[in-house]
Amino acid sequence: MFSEWRNKTWLRIKALWKRSQLDRDLNDEVAFHLAMREDKNRLAGIDPQESRYAARRDFGNPTTIKERNREIWTFASFEGLLQDIRFALRMLHKNPGFTAVAVLTLALGIGANSAIFSVVNGVLLNPLPYKDPQQLVAARHTDSLLNVIDIQRLTHSFAQGGAIDTEDMDYTSGAEPVQIQAGYVDAGFLETLGIPPMLGRFISPEEDVKGGPRVIVVSYAFWKNFLNSDPQAVGKAIMLSGNNYTVIGVMPASFTLPQYHADVFVSLWVAYPEAAAFRGVHFMNSYWRLKPDVTLAQAQADILAIDLHLAEQYPDTERDRRTHLVPLQEFVVGHVRTALLVLFGAVGFVLLIACANFAGLLVARTMARRPELVIRAALGAGKPRLIRQALVESALLAILGGAAGLVLAEWGTRLLLSLKPAALARFSGIQLDARVLLFVFGVSVLTGIVFGIAPAWSAASADFAEALKDGGGRTTAGPSSHLLRKVLVTAEIALALVLLVGAGLLIKGFSRLSAVNPGFNPRNVISMHLQLPPARYADIPPQTQFRRELLTRLNSLPGVDAAMITDIPFGGNYVNHSIVVDGRPPVLVGAEPRVQTLSVMGDYFRVMQIAIRAGRGFTDSDREGQPLVAIVNETFVRRFFPHENPLGARIDWGRAKLPHNWMTIVGVANDVKHSGLGEPTDPAVYAPFSQSDEAWRRWMTLTIRTTGSPSGLVEEVKKQVWSIDRQIPVSDILSMESLMAISLAQERFNMLLLGLFAALALTLAAVGIYGLMAYSVNQRTHEIGLRIAMGALSRDILQLVVADGAKLAFLGIAIGIVAALALTRMMATLLFDVKPTDPATFAVVAILLAFVGLAACYIPARRATRVDPMVTLRYD
Amino acid sequence: MKEKSENPGDLLQGTLDLLILKALARGAMHGYGVAEWIHQTSEDILKVEEGALYPALHRLELRGLLSAEWGTSDNNRRAKFYSLTAAGKKELAQETEFWRRMSGAVARILQTA
Repeated sequence: MFSEWRNKTWLRIKALWKRSQLDRDLNDEVAFHLAMREDKNRLAGIDPQESRYAARRDFGNPTTIKERNREIWTFASFEGLLQDIRFALRMLHKNPGFTAVAVLTLALGIGANSAIFSVVNGVLLNPLPYKDPQQLVAARHTDSLLNVIDIQRLTHSFAQGGAIDTEDMDYTSGAEPVQIQAGYVDAGFLETLGIPPMLGRFISPEEDVKGGPRVIVVSYAFWKNFLNSDPQAVGKAIMLSGNNYTVIGVMPASFTLPQYHADVFVSLWVAYPEAAAFRGVHFMNSYWRLKPDVTLAQAQADILAIDLHLAEQYPDTERDRRTHLVPLQEFVVGHVRTALLVLFGAVGFVLLIACANFAGLLVARTMARRPELVIRAALGAGKPRLIRQALVESALLAILGGAAGLVLAEWGTRLLLSLKPAALARFSGIQLDARVLLFVFGVSVLTGIVFGIAPAWSAASADFAEALKDGGGRTTAGPSSHLLRKVLVTAEIALALVLLVGAGLLIKGFSRLSAVNPGFNPRNVISMHLQLPPARYADIPPQTQFRRELLTRLNSLPGVDAAMITDIPFGGNYVNHSIVVDGRPPVLVGAEPRVQTLSVMGDYFRVMQIAIRAGRGFTDSDREGQPLVAIVNETFVRRFFPHENPLGARIDWGRAKLPHNWMTIVGVANDVKHSGLGEPTDPAVYAPFSQSDEAWRRWMTLTIRTTGSPSGLVEEVKKQVWSIDRQIPVSDILSMESLMAISLAQERFNMLLLGLFAALALTLAAVGIYGLMAYSVNQRTHEIGLRIAMGALSRDILQLVVADGAKLAFLGIAIGIVAALALTRMMATLLFDVKPTDPATFAVVAILLAFVGLAACYIPARRATRVDPMVTLRYD
Repeated sequence: MKEKSENPGDLLQGTLDLLILKALARGAMHGYGVAEWIHQTSEDILKVEEGALYPALHRLELRGLLSAEWGTSDNNRRAKFYSLTAAGKKELAQETEFWRRMSGAVARILQTA
């Protein structure tokens, strides 16, 4: 058997070189046969012409025979495919308009999909860049280092664990003082993530103790920017916030934190021992590596037992503790997943619409080519052959579309990253990698074949005998293929409606969100962050002196109105404190209400233009040595003084030293959206920096309102700061308006993208319905001409055509509304103050789509009214 | 087109191959000759759509059962002559034996009824 196969293959290979001779021989052979038969017939007395016909009849279709013979001698399927591809390329080249529209349609669909897929791939599918990331879990809420240490000690589920908190530090070994982000960690943190240092080593458990050596591990970026990429950096000393640290390790470039950002890593016990010893202040994110055979549920049960134990032992602070473990992947990407999946779904719809358009184009083209197909079938091309030819053509188009789509995807991905919502910014893996390429290729080929099959089938199953009788030149589309196109266009409209509703909801939600009053006037206000190093500002008096001196200098600048506050709105931070109200029954320890506390200096409310609703704002006389005062916000009043006048009431921090140092409420300020426009306002207490007894509040944010342009001001402020203290970095210099814009970046990103996809969908659907109607008018030219000849008016014709398209549009809209009602629920969490079934949005979108649909029908309808009856009638 | 069910193209591939081999057992022959021989010896019962003969001839040639060369026919036309190879002769013997046993078996089954 094998030798026979080898023999055959050899003969076929030899035949490759004498293809034309084989063809010639075959022709000769057939001709010989026919001649012999004809001779015989003639000898039998049949007339010459009939003799020839009879010979042909007996022989069968010579083309089919030759084709089959050729298949025997050649590697038929492969060569046939090459031939089909050559033929398809020729056809595409000869019809540049069709090719361009089909390729562009698919390129848009595939390109948008690939760009979004590359983001989904980079964010949701790529494993996190840590050792065995599937073993890593994170605690949903922050905890204190003492608790983390106890959990490590008392549980058995974790191979490793560690905690981190990122805070500002000042790097003062360079030319200008620079604020950097420090990761305050324990010795287990870097070990747990499992990425080894590029140079040197990690902090050891022996060093991670109170009073331990000041050693530091730096990030690659820090090493590059501040240590000049010195390969001998390990062992060097650097100055941070007034202390000398010795570099012991450098992290590799690829290392990023699961959350936040840090330039250096220091031991919390060494750098900030007071905070390390606080059990009740939960400020550290903890990460854990499960032992290989331990499940998340087991670890959760293990840790809950410890929670109960800690709650019993430290009821003051740990009574309500409940550690919730989540897989690290979920912890890191959980908040962007919904948005990404909605966008991915939406872009999938765009692709479906593009595919429907593509299939519609193919059907139309098949119809236009029917004369050619009929002739090819009559000449002996088999049905499988015709289907293959059609599929090769559509697959080829799809691959071309995919290639063009790839170019669009490359641009698209860059565009997405340039919009850079903060949530995506930290993902380095967003690019067109092999998986994306595979995705594009798969989608293209599938598109070509799946959406090419129906047109190919209809091409091959036409009744050719009928078609030939018809004259072949001017045939009408079969009812089945026309129905197919109608179904496609209806589906496009339905899909487009779903996308438009989604986009409409996001736009409405976004506009409502943007219209929320932040409670202050962000125009012409810039903010800058300052931090006083602990070495020289350990106590309140020097802090107050610096603040007062700086404010005095700044306010003496022309056109400048400056104040300072611990944390500004939209800055992402605030300090929570428990409070007690004088004269109220005592509250259980650990159950005191918590409020936002903000320390201010200067007339902060005037600078930010936050209205004072009752009482007064702060004045210069609210200072050290004077009666303690506080100003609260309206939410605070609603919560704690719903039926009383808060002015004159006295409050103090919970668990303060007794006897209480009561602060008197002297004013009520307008509510401010501190944590974002979409977030509820917390009760807040404002108190003067100078009356505070909390020396750890060493940071502050300058808020400066300028009458003119703030350009040049920043340098002037820095100069003033440094003229008081040369080692204080000025950081996070941002206008309030851009801070607000940043806080809306994710919402804007969602809205822009979905809006873009919806616009794309609308355009494609409009092109689809236009194409169908234009084609149908073309097909019916004869009928329309006849109608006009019989006295139909323009209006009648217009109505006839538009009604035809309108039926499809309305059906599509109805189906789309049902689908949208089912689907938009999934985006509920992305919407602000808008129901996913918002009737107004549905109505507007339906009307818009109906309008676009009718407009797309109108153009071909107008053309129909201009049909010249004489021309069409003469055509027969 | 109505004759389709009787179309010898439907004739079992193996049967047509066997007939061709048998025809050529008598000596080299061109395709037309093979067709004529099948018509005559089967007394026109087996009507072969003559074109179908050629793919079968070429397939046998490719399998090495036939060899072919161009020559001149009786009436001086250029024609391709096929003849059995050794492998072809062996195949014919095997297939003939198979058919004998097969048709004998079928005949016996039909008689028992």
